[in-house]
Amino acid sequence: MTTIELHNLTRRYGRRIGVQGVNLTVPQGLVYGFLGPNGAGKSTTIRVLMGFLRPTEGQAQMFGRDSWRDGPRVRADVGYLPGDLRLYPWLTGSEALRLVSRVRRRNLVGAGSELAARFNLDLNVRVRSMSRGMRQKLGLILALAHDPPLLILDEPTASLDPIMQEQLYEHLREAAARGRTVFFSSHTLSEVQRLCDRLAIVREGRIVADDTLENLRSRAKREVIIRWRDAAPVHNNPPQFLDVHERTDRQWSASLNGSVSALVQWLADKPIDDLTIGQPDLESLFRRYYQQPSPESPR
Amino acid sequence: MNSGVIIKTAREIWVPTLMFGIGLLLSEILLAFVLPSVEKDFGGIISQFKLFQTLLKALLGTDIGDKVGPEALQAIAWVDPVVLALVWAHVIVVCTRMPSGEIDRGTADVLFGLPISRFNVYLSDTLVCLIAGAVVIALAWLGSVIGGLIAPTSFQTSASRVFIVLVNLYLLGAAVGGLAYLMSALSDRRGRAIGAVFAIVLASFLLNFLAQFWPPAENVSFLGILNYYRPINPLREGLWPVRDLLVLAGVAFVSWLAGAIILIRRDIATT
Repeated sequence: MTTIELHNLTRRYGRRIGVQGVNLTVPQGLVYGFLGPNGAGKSTTIRVLMGFLRPTEGQAQMFGRDSWRDGPRVRADVGYLPGDLRLYPWLTGSEALRLVSRVRRRNLVGAGSELAARFNLDLNVRVRSMSRGMRQKLGLILALAHDPPLLILDEPTASLDPIMQEQLYEHLREAAARGRTVFFSSHTLSEVQRLCDRLAIVREGRIVADDTLENLRSRAKREVIIRWRDAAPVHNNPPQFLDVHERTDRQWSASLNGSVSALVQWLADKPIDDLTIGQPDLESLFRRYYQQPSPESPR
Repeated sequence: MNSGVIIKTAREIWVPTLMFGIGLLLSEILLAFVLPSVEKDFGGIISQFKLFQTLLKALLGTDIGDKVGPEALQAIAWVDPVVLALVWAHVIVVCTRMPSGEIDRGTADVLFGLPISRFNVYLSDTLVCLIAGAVVIALAWLGSVIGGLIAPTSFQTSASRVFIVLVNLYLLGAAVGGLAYLMSALSDRRGRAIGAVFAIVLASFLLNFLAQFWPPAENVSFLGILNYYRPINPLREGLWPVRDLLVLAGVAFVSWLAGAIILIRRDIATT
């Protein structure tokens, strides 16, 4: 089942493009990362999904319903955390939970209190006296308390300390294991790597990659070090999939652009002393996605 | 309507409502205490200061001349600029919060991210503001009653005539409130919405004043909302100013509805 579907979604702010021609499908039960640098269009996409912004072109759907037209109905099944969370300063955590319970017509105080214990938040403190991290925790509790089928979290770990980040990751993994879908935006690669089943990379308002983490890993370069037994003529002709950036008579340091098996096959009849193949370097892959001038995927 | 939004709104506006209500209560106590005691000298004061006479004529909508009766004095208590300013300030403060206030401070993301329609939020918010307006007017009336009780001489006007004035004043506030909702729906910044409504109210006040001695202004004086608030007539005659009430109610409803339509159709962009 599909929870989120974006069809050729375009949103402009006057002349400025927020997002353009975005097509995206998020199946149920996945932790889906939405990655991109600041200003890439992550929040615009989320705001269209939440029914705050009307698409200029195309359509945004959640659970098969239009986000703009069926907003209230759709949002009943969504837990949402805004990117720049602002809460009413006069509210305490408990009051906020009671208020949201009334709006959602469900008692969320019990579930919210359990989450508060998990995230180590005192619900009796007023928002105006809370630190940024505490407010973020409260925002998360309000988004998670009704255990929605879909969580839309805009940079949820911003201002959380590492321990709380870990708690959140754990909670989101548990939610996904129960069949909940998590769609979260981030510009932190490590976070996405740790949590996501699948991710989309957005840059300058366009999706430049949309794949599973495994497939992206297979596309990423690996650092390779080859130690030769002796200096042979063949060494002067590295294969195309090997980008040698440092070489001596006895050792090459290179980036592997192809598969490991191709490398092993090529080395099979070569006089090597040692071979080191590093983990896929996702960071450099993402950097290429972020920086390349055209929106096409890098090869 | 949604009880969560109703409670949230009530929580937000009870302090300004109480403050403005107490301000009106004290103002009316003072006016009800002081005005009857200066009844004899009032005509003399008016004839000495022409500008004051013009202002009074503008506020009352009629020239009371040198003979100031109890109805005219009580009418002055209900058109006093301090009283009008407090009623309008309260209305502007509470009715510009949604949606421009919510967008301005960023809480719109949380509020409109909940499973409730924008119209429902707007309607629930309006209901609380209508009640708050009634509370403020009731406190003003209470002030006039208390002032009458403690004053050596009182207005001695019938309660039913005063009630007509209160309804008229309430609808005057509602008209400003409707405009405030409309301006708020049109703006992302609450300050701008407040400025726009303030400008409308001020223009109406000035138009009403200028119309007393400048014919071109008199020709367009029907555009000002103060033209439809003349407490001296019901206080003197005891008749409901049906036309005035309908015009004020119409302005309130049409501008409120326009605000609702704009809110439903507009983008909510906090960043």
